[in-house]
Amino acid sequence: MAIAVFIVFGLLALAGGVGVISFHQPIRSVLSLVLVMLSLSVLFLLLSAQFVFVVQIIVYAGAVMVLFLFVITLLGPARESGRGRLRFQAGLSGLFVLAFIGLLYAMLQGVQYRTPDHTDLNVFGTVQSIAVGLFTTYLYPFELTSVLLLVAAIGAIYLSRRDEG
Amino acid sequence: MGTFDVGGSQMDVSWFLLLAAALFTLGGIGVLVRRNPLIILISIELMLNAVNLTLVAFSRQLENLEGQLFALMTMTVAAAEAVVGLAILVDIFRVRDLEDIDDLSELKG
Repeated sequence: MAIAVFIVFGLLALAGGVGVISFHQPIRSVLSLVLVMLSLSVLFLLLSAQFVFVVQIIVYAGAVMVLFLFVITLLGPARESGRGRLRFQAGLSGLFVLAFIGLLYAMLQGVQYRTPDHTDLNVFGTVQSIAVGLFTTYLYPFELTSVLLLVAAIGAIYLSRRDEG
Repeated sequence: MGTFDVGGSQMDVSWFLLLAAALFTLGGIGVLVRRNPLIILISIELMLNAVNLTLVAFSRQLENLEGQLFALMTMTVAAAEAVVGLAILVDIFRVRDLEDIDDLSELKG
């Protein structure tokens, strides 16, 4: 059952990934990316990461993708120009990328994994266990991410304001 | 070796790693080949999501929550990156109608 879920949603994620890079209109790429995000959220659930699953749907498929859609609305249906200054670039990057995935695949062969930690899987990945981690051991990085978000918000406001200010 | 039990069936962490590698590679192709700056940003989001899948898969295999916490941090960074990147993009589009990322090559010597 779990394997069937993995195969179905893994294939959906791959199809969405191919759609992201092959559609010519940005709106279709964004909708393909939403498909990838939703499929990945199901896989997160399979990996007993319930909180990450919820955050993936709310923050990614919800907020970030809506932001992309708003920007597309703002910019209009910009089409990509067919011409390219470096015509061999596409083939060359395809070659590079194939070598890269070959390298990743080769690195997976015969790899030794660390033995698991044997935590209680009944509470693994719940909001409570995530919160205990975030507010005790990782309190400092967690606070730093709030500073990062503040900086990003200020930067976005500064960049997008009109010039009369 | 890297197997774990999901609802009674054994799954291997390397399946998830391979899927993540394929998605990351697709994002890499998008960044390298596509010329629309918006699609390049979308491809970067795809790559970040693939990395998240790796982190969560290892978190489950090692039964250690740190991977999930790190995935949450990555989501924050991705959100910040998307916000600032899109703001820069809108700012550029306001100055001129850009249809190719190579049009932004004035800095080269």
